[in-house]
Amino acid sequence: MALPLMDTLMARRAEKALRDDAYRSGRVHIADLFAQDARRFERLSLSACGLLADFSKQRIAAGTLEKLRTLAEARGLDDWIRCLFDGGEVNWTESRPAMHWRLRECKKNAPEVHEQLTLMEHIVNRVHSGQWRGCQGDAITDVVNIGVGGSDLGPLMASVALHEHHPETGGRPRLHFVSSMDGSQIAPLLDELNPGTTLVVISSKSFTTMDTLSNAATTRAWLERAFPEVNGALLRCHFIGVSACSERMTEWGIHQENQLRLWDWVGGRYSLWSCIGLPIALAIGMDQFREFLAGAHDMDQHFRSAPWDENVPVSLGLVDIWNLNFLNITARAVLPYDGRLKHLPAYVEQLEMESNGKSVTRSGEAVKHHTCPVIWGEVGPNAQHAFYQLLHQGTQPVACEFLVAARHGRRNGNSAALEPLEDQHGLTVANCLAQSRLLAFGEAALTPDQSLPPFMHYRGNQPSTTLMMDELSPRQLGALLALYEHKVFVQAVMWGINPFDQWGVEMGKRIAMEMIDVLNTGGGINELDGSSRALARYVRERQQN
Amino acid sequence: MRVDVVGDTLCAAVTASALAQTGHTVTWSLPEGRYWQQLRDGREAYHEPGLMPLIREQIEAGYLWCRDLATPAPTPGEVVFLALQPGERDQADILLDWIAGGEQCELLINQSVFPVGTTEELREALAQRGRTVPVICLPDTLQEGRALNDFTRPEHILLGCDDRSGEILIREILRPFNRRQDVIQVMRPREAEFAKLAISGMLATRLSFMNDMVMLAEELDVDIEVIRQGVGSDPRIGDAYLYAGCGFGGPGFSRDVMNLTDALRSRRINTELLEQVLQINERQKEVLFRKFWRHYEGDVANKKVALWGAAFKPGSDRVDNGPALRLIEALWAQGVEVHVHDPLALPELTQWADGRGPLYTHQDGYHAARDVDALMIVTEWKEYWSPDWAMLKNKMSTPLILDGRNIYDPRYVKHQGFTYYGIGRS
Repeated sequence: MALPLMDTLMARRAEKALRDDAYRSGRVHIADLFAQDARRFERLSLSACGLLADFSKQRIAAGTLEKLRTLAEARGLDDWIRCLFDGGEVNWTESRPAMHWRLRECKKNAPEVHEQLTLMEHIVNRVHSGQWRGCQGDAITDVVNIGVGGSDLGPLMASVALHEHHPETGGRPRLHFVSSMDGSQIAPLLDELNPGTTLVVISSKSFTTMDTLSNAATTRAWLERAFPEVNGALLRCHFIGVSACSERMTEWGIHQENQLRLWDWVGGRYSLWSCIGLPIALAIGMDQFREFLAGAHDMDQHFRSAPWDENVPVSLGLVDIWNLNFLNITARAVLPYDGRLKHLPAYVEQLEMESNGKSVTRSGEAVKHHTCPVIWGEVGPNAQHAFYQLLHQGTQPVACEFLVAARHGRRNGNSAALEPLEDQHGLTVANCLAQSRLLAFGEAALTPDQSLPPFMHYRGNQPSTTLMMDELSPRQLGALLALYEHKVFVQAVMWGINPFDQWGVEMGKRIAMEMIDVLNTGGGINELDGSSRALARYVRERQQN
Repeated sequence: MRVDVVGDTLCAAVTASALAQTGHTVTWSLPEGRYWQQLRDGREAYHEPGLMPLIREQIEAGYLWCRDLATPAPTPGEVVFLALQPGERDQADILLDWIAGGEQCELLINQSVFPVGTTEELREALAQRGRTVPVICLPDTLQEGRALNDFTRPEHILLGCDDRSGEILIREILRPFNRRQDVIQVMRPREAEFAKLAISGMLATRLSFMNDMVMLAEELDVDIEVIRQGVGSDPRIGDAYLYAGCGFGGPGFSRDVMNLTDALRSRRINTELLEQVLQINERQKEVLFRKFWRHYEGDVANKKVALWGAAFKPGSDRVDNGPALRLIEALWAQGVEVHVHDPLALPELTQWADGRGPLYTHQDGYHAARDVDALMIVTEWKEYWSPDWAMLKNKMSTPLILDGRNIYDPRYVKHQGFTYYGIGRS
């Protein structure tokens, strides 16, 4: 499919108009924008799929969003969205489509996806009913997910976020996540766990990831030491594999019935919707995992069909473009006001920076503008005691993203005993609203008649978006994550880059393999640069002693 | 004396018929349910040795009258026994209106297993209804299989009673069963209720202790049966309730222990010991499955297994909370075909299995064992103790015996050409 060139006359005109807006906005404070328009919130907030997105505390003027949409039109965003959902080759450097949205489709449209979900359901139900047996016949009590990157961050984030949603029947196992290649996570875990009741999930799209395979080998050796007399049952009873490569799973020893598949057309960081999400399903049960998928599917439908002036992923993507490329704000903080979302910042960091941390366009030229900003984050109330000082009084402009649930949502147990916890949720929401307010308006707008010494001054004018869920349910989390995925795509289209490859992480893996040789044998050490050579010598000297 | 007994528990049946036998005129009211239906239809409602003949005899003699609790009852007699199911606490309150409405009732005796303190609550509730009647507690300590004997020739009777006139009356009623020596221990009602639960807790602890020892015995290659005899011969310990096996169950016993742990938990008292006792027992209910699984290295799909026994103990038709249920569910989950023989409990088991999974029941034990890959002994019915080994081996596809009650001599069974696994024996 021929996609339009980006650098059209129309695009240039739209960009020029935006530059003018940006120039003017340099002299306008967010407080002024609110003073000029009593209906600013109504005009600049959207809702979809149970989410409310408030852009009114962004530094955008009345017509800015419209101009950004014109620019998007000139960049061909419409065709690109169609191309994404038609299964076109949006991942051009690897010549394949990116169809994570397909993982959320109905059975009729995606039979192969549902075939795998059914296999996964079978496993989940067996574990929950206590009928998945270890090699000694004991019920499984602990599941260890071994994976890294997309096979770790997404499942970890979502299973922690939804932990209060228990499966409808049966008991769930304790979940553990192991990713680091140095063994620092697996070692203390194996000291604690009972090998007879532990099930290991090896999650790797390629099934060649060194980090994952080295942890898997350690775990296998631990089980073999515990049950030296057991033969075939050990691998069959204790290991599940999730991968796109069935042959490599078989070669490793994963039993045919314990293999869950995904496909080349899913990127690792987009894969928690597939069987890579097994830990999520183990935490919340299959019915609620399907709700999670349904929420994401709702967002897919919204992204595809909603007009852009109502379209949340499009608007969120464009607002971020505005901050970075027109206001030159090169940092963004992701601030969930909910401890259950404590792993969300790391997940978003990977999703956005691995997707859009690129600088070569489709035509092979270097980009002439910024692409992905530096993104970091932390649970909001904790970050208030850490880096908010910089947000309020530092010299760097930072765009902030506040995430919060209006209600805490379902908790298990006696409601009277949990009342203090509801109060705590209220306190957290209050802090969230207070911080976005202070960042936007500064102390001058909030307490106009007081004059403060300079060191107590809050200048305000830090832009932020607030994403509000009704409650943190599987469905709403699904919608929220799909929102992030799609806004990443919107931005990639605007920048003309491919968000679905990650060539920047490949080379490092290769030269690490060479470096192992250097450290082990000293061979080739003289070909290294001066610094690396000296460091390698330093390590070798100390390892020999 | 005119006596009312209310409820369909085994305790109610035994109390009603034993009191009728001693000359009282007993009206026994049963709630709607299978016991009432079976009794009305002249079927065997209770499979307790000697009980049904006694019930029939007393009905014929005109001492025992059975009726449906739902139809309007006449005024209560001088003494009312409440022996309701544990879940029927609400029913007790309804009955209080009936008792308060009559003039004659002089004593209310609670035999139901309700939470500790219920007997005193009933007394206060009656007082609120304007009747001051002594309410006392006579906890149900009957053992299934010997319940009638336990009631008529008791070795001890716990009586929860703090009312002088009530005590005189209950002693008069129990006089025929308390002749050889006075075995009645009087305490406060809540103490009697608690003592009853504590007895079950202690017995369960002994069983789980032995089942815990089993693991070590298997590891050290010693026979737990020998250990049991050694331990039981110490007079400080005694030999009751020391049998290792595939777990205890039944409507009364395990429920009592759960009641006790619930009571402790609801008062935020740490119940580590009893929690462990229950946990060990739950683990033990699957012990035969684990041995079977290990024997076949987890490759058990499409295998066939026979269970001999499903009742939670010999002499009973009940399967509640028993090991057979956990075992069958585990086997089903692995795609194993399950065949069962039991002399009494098949109707209950069939009812339980309905809608859960495919169960093949057999009237003949050898028939059940045809073409199976393992035979599991779950209940130690007498008819299983000395099977025709040659015929059994002929029928079975693989001669593998998993003896959950240690009723066989391992050496002898192995000599007959079987692979044998017991509980805690090599």
